Amino acid sequence: MRRLAVIAIVLCIVSIGFGTVAAQDAPSVAVITPYLAQPGTQFLVEGFEAAAEDKGWNVNVIDTAGDVAAVISRIEDMVNQGVDALVINVDPAQVEAGLQIAADASIPVFGMDAGSNPLLVTNVTSNGYAMAAETASYVVDRIGCAGRVVMFVFDPYPPVQKRGIIADAIFANCPDIEVIDRITPDVNDGGIADSRAQMEAVLAANPNTGSISAVWAAWDQPALGALQAIEAAGRENEGIVIVGIDANPQALDAIAAGGNFEASVAQDFSGIGAATASAVERVLAGETITQSVIYVPTVLVTNANVGDFLDN
Amino acid sequence: MSATPLLSVRHAEKHFGGTPALVDAALDLLPGEVHALMGENGAGKSTLIKILAGVVNPDRAEIALSGQAVSIPNPQTAFDLGLRFIHQELAVVPQLSVAENLFLSHAYPRRAGFLVDWRRLNQSAKTVLDQLGIAHIDPRTRMARVGTGDQMLVKIASAFVTGDRQTPAVYIMDEPTAALTSEEVTRLFGVIRELKLQGCAVLYVSHRLEEIFQIADRVTVMRDGCVVGSALINETSSEKLIRQMTGRELSQTFPARETPLDSHIVLAVRNLATEYVCEVGFDLRAGEILGLAGLAGAGCTELLRALVGADPLRHGEIRLDGETRADLTPVSAWERGFAYVPEERRSQGLILSRSIRDNITLPHLQKISRGGILLDRRSEEQLSSVVGASVRLKAIGPRQTVRELSGGNQQKVMFARAMSRTPRLLLLDEPTRGVDVGAKFDIYTLIRQVSAQSVGVVLASSDLAELLGLCDRILILREGRQTAIVAASGLSQHELLTLCYGDGDRDD
Amino acid sequence: MTTDASIEQTAARIQWGRLLRTSGTLIGFLAIIVFFTINIPNTFLTVANWLNISQQVSMLAVIAFTMTIVMVMGDFDLSVGSMASLAGIIAALLFRDSQPVIVGVLVALGVGLLGGLFNGVLVSYVGIMPFVATLGTLTMFSGLAFLLSGGETIFGRDIPADFSGFARGGIPVGMVGERTLLFPNLTLIALIVLAVVWALLEQTTFGRRLYAIGGNAEAALLGGVRVRLLRLIAFMLTGFGAALGGLMYASRVASANPTQGAGLMLDAIAAVFLGMTMSEEGEPHVLGTLIGVLILGVLDNGLTQMRVDSYVREILIGAIIVAAVTSSSLAKRGR
Ligand SMILES: Nc1ncnc2c1ncn2[C@@H]1O[C@H](COP(=O)(O)OP(=O)(O)OP(=O)(O)O)[C@@H](O)[C@H]1O
Ligand SMILES: [Mg+2]
Repeated sequence: MRRLAVIAIVLCIVSIGFGTVAAQDAPSVAVITPYLAQPGTQFLVEGFEAAAEDKGWNVNVIDTAGDVAAVISRIEDMVNQGVDALVINVDPAQVEAGLQIAADASIPVFGMDAGSNPLLVTNVTSNGYAMAAETASYVVDRIGCAGRVVMFVFDPYPPVQKRGIIADAIFANCPDIEVIDRITPDVNDGGIADSRAQMEAVLAANPNTGSISAVWAAWDQPALGALQAIEAAGRENEGIVIVGIDANPQALDAIAAGGNFEASVAQDFSGIGAATASAVERVLAGETITQSVIYVPTVLVTNANVGDFLDN
Repeated sequence: MSATPLLSVRHAEKHFGGTPALVDAALDLLPGEVHALMGENGAGKSTLIKILAGVVNPDRAEIALSGQAVSIPNPQTAFDLGLRFIHQELAVVPQLSVAENLFLSHAYPRRAGFLVDWRRLNQSAKTVLDQLGIAHIDPRTRMARVGTGDQMLVKIASAFVTGDRQTPAVYIMDEPTAALTSEEVTRLFGVIRELKLQGCAVLYVSHRLEEIFQIADRVTVMRDGCVVGSALINETSSEKLIRQMTGRELSQTFPARETPLDSHIVLAVRNLATEYVCEVGFDLRAGEILGLAGLAGAGCTELLRALVGADPLRHGEIRLDGETRADLTPVSAWERGFAYVPEERRSQGLILSRSIRDNITLPHLQKISRGGILLDRRSEEQLSSVVGASVRLKAIGPRQTVRELSGGNQQKVMFARAMSRTPRLLLLDEPTRGVDVGAKFDIYTLIRQVSAQSVGVVLASSDLAELLGLCDRILILREGRQTAIVAASGLSQHELLTLCYGDGDRDD
Repeated sequence: MTTDASIEQTAARIQWGRLLRTSGTLIGFLAIIVFFTINIPNTFLTVANWLNISQQVSMLAVIAFTMTIVMVMGDFDLSVGSMASLAGIIAALLFRDSQPVIVGVLVALGVGLLGGLFNGVLVSYVGIMPFVATLGTLTMFSGLAFLLSGGETIFGRDIPADFSGFARGGIPVGMVGERTLLFPNLTLIALIVLAVVWALLEQTTFGRRLYAIGGNAEAALLGGVRVRLLRLIAFMLTGFGAALGGLMYASRVASANPTQGAGLMLDAIAAVFLGMTMSEEGEPHVLGTLIGVLILGVLDNGLTQMRVDSYVREILIGAIIVAAVTSSSLAKRGR
């Protein structure tokens, strides 16, 4: 009897605590992610929840703790439960089995910084092209459309590859800019160490002051590696301009320090969350969204405004 | 009978899932008395004792100590009330030392308040062991390295550890001698007599009638969970006791050989040596029963283990039906028609968590299944019922779990396993340990019958009467070495014992 | 003092005690189902939902069923989770190399057998304790998965549609509204594995001998059981099951990642333990494991539908496992 009692008590607690929460008429939306433990994802979800609260929705945030197959399972459960909309934050290609089920049940699924997929109504994210354009044009402006530039790219990973393409185009538009190296670092160690080694080789090959004007990196880690190489070589006063993308905490520190690392681009995660909520709202109101991707503006971070970001 | 009993039990009753183990048992233990408790396997003796020990919850029981009603909900209470137990089933912690095992249920002596005083622990252990005359066991050895007989002695000794409490008054011993040699039994009896003089009461369970008449003052007989009689020892006789226990007349004579010995040699052993035995050699003829005799630790068990391939050979030769078998393992031994009953039923013989059926058919599954692969439960159960009945197994049915059987009935399961297909060679290590008198003679008859079918039998036993009554020849082992092979006929128990001790070592 | 009535009561209590010891977990499972049926009236007790559950637990089920085989002998295999990941990675790498689906699948299953063989050799021939041996191979298999994949997730065009489509497919069994109801392929595989393991453990001499080893290895050996060989085979079967479960997972997520199977090992052991509470002698049986797997799956499914917070859900599931095992061992103690 003891066991029955235990289970009964546990379940009673559950039913008192949660069974009565769902009010019937408010739209209910489930947010499913395996990555809730990561900081970026937390900002996304908080942004979404804040917006949803204003709209009076029932939001159910489900974290599967890294288990991608469980995302599919939870999508099935929520479809079965008949939620009004689903929001996912995971590569849609990996959970297509679940997306198909939602589509069959005519439940709209939204990507929140997820990746595009025909089974999603839309994907709300930052514009990778725009971010690359911001930093590349920053470099062009700083060196006056002339000089020798080192690029760090990573073509095997599509979201990063598109950044490189844009930077290529912008640099090509200045006839006096010469891209002296286009490096793909080994990322297995996190990307900093190998980038530093590669940059040291470039510095050795170009020993004269002014022979390198700028380093453009498709994300922050190679930029940090390049910075270390330049400082270690004692060439920090040659005015080499370094830029990265993503504005991770280490990069922000480097920008705040006022050295060669001059700029990066910050994504507006809570803005993406809020924009996802308004996309959901439009669809629930009967509107059809034709854009398969909705871009949320990003912010260029320089020494001038880095203080706003360091506070967070 | 006027004295207040030290311990008295009335209306003890216990059912296990509907089947009765104790129906209505009553017992009085007087001060200074050795009280024997007898009964067939499964009569309820151990159950009664476990109730007194607080191990089994009775459905009902009225227990009084020196006239005062008590309840014993757990073993600690029993201990605090001054009851000491030697339970039937060996329960030692092999990883711990002998001394630690002795003091398992006592506070270890302390140093500086919290450190264990190992010196004192070992010293106290030594005192207890000396008192029992078993000083040859070093208190510091790990229990795993101590032989089975010695383990039993340590377990017995643990009941005599008093610690810092008052001297306990009641000793309850459930078949303490089942695994002991006659010499060890004599020593134990010395200790029991001393306890008697101190005014303690002893409850003593045994299936060996001659022991009862040596040591007991009074004997109570149980049958099917009830007490069927209690008498002073000099007012009863073996025949009376047997009749009370079994409800039938029983001849206590060993079944005689009826067929002449075959000349074919089933098993030939030449100059065999393992880690534990050496210089062993003999020929076993078809239909012959060869006894193995020796003191504790002489190597009888180890010789049987070598024959069944459980211990690797150092050198020497084992020939079965004339063919040398160098690669013998227990698997190939059973496949070639060996059948083996190991010494220790709980650690080496039985799968306690499985049914009687599973235990009996385990070595024979290849033959008794469909194609050696699919189980054939019906045939298995038929076979188990038949061989079970032939050894008077008391059980609900072949599907009963072996753990639920009484000690003697567990032993019968092992014997039934060995007998369930007619073997080529039967290797028996203490096959009747803990088996009641009636079933013992059934087992003797079965051994005799199977040997008449040209089967060779090797029988190791600490029961000298058993060896002399059944065997054609007896192989004597001393300290792992074969010292003689003698014909059994005409030999007396005393002569056999003298042979075991060796020349002039001792004569009593 | 004691009346006839109280004797009858005791007898009744004894019967109840025996029943509760073995079927308490089952009763608890039924209680959970009743609870969800009441609280999620429209969607819980539906064919569609139960087909969902069956598919959701299928990977765990396959691994837990085959884990039961070694646990019958009293052993463990901690490496099943990393073997599942490794199998997925190997198949995906072969697919990327444009090998046919069947080749990738067979090679991955073969690697499962080999890994199990390695575990078995360590445990039964070298004589290392299963806990230590498989803890070691857990790290080895996982390291190998990282090495082969370079730490990346293999997905997208590298995974052929034939392979990922399998997890989405099924046998049509009826219609709900306009939707066809599919009996999922993954569920079918889990059922087949269940049937095979059940037959193996309960109906063959192999299974009988494994239980004997689990009960008393020394006695089994002296009773003519080839203990070493059987242990080896059992570990191979568990390795095979781990690889199969890993492939099912990879098919379901249409990708392979060197850590994706990691969570399966503890859940599989938990499921077997839950099942063990249902046997009088505390032996694992594969039907008990099935109930254990279903308890985990139903709780996940039902609590999600009831919108219980993910973290609270984890606490609850853990608490229920502890409660089941505790109460069953308490019941067994009070004999
Ligand atoms: N745990 C148990 N579950 C079910 N039945 C049991 C259990 N323990 C004992 N029994 C049954 O109770 C009866 C009495 O057993 P008990 O052990 O008291 O016998 P015994 O007189 O000591 O026999 P033996 O001489 O063989 O030691 C037997 O029929 C046995 O099968
Ligand atoms: Mg007994």
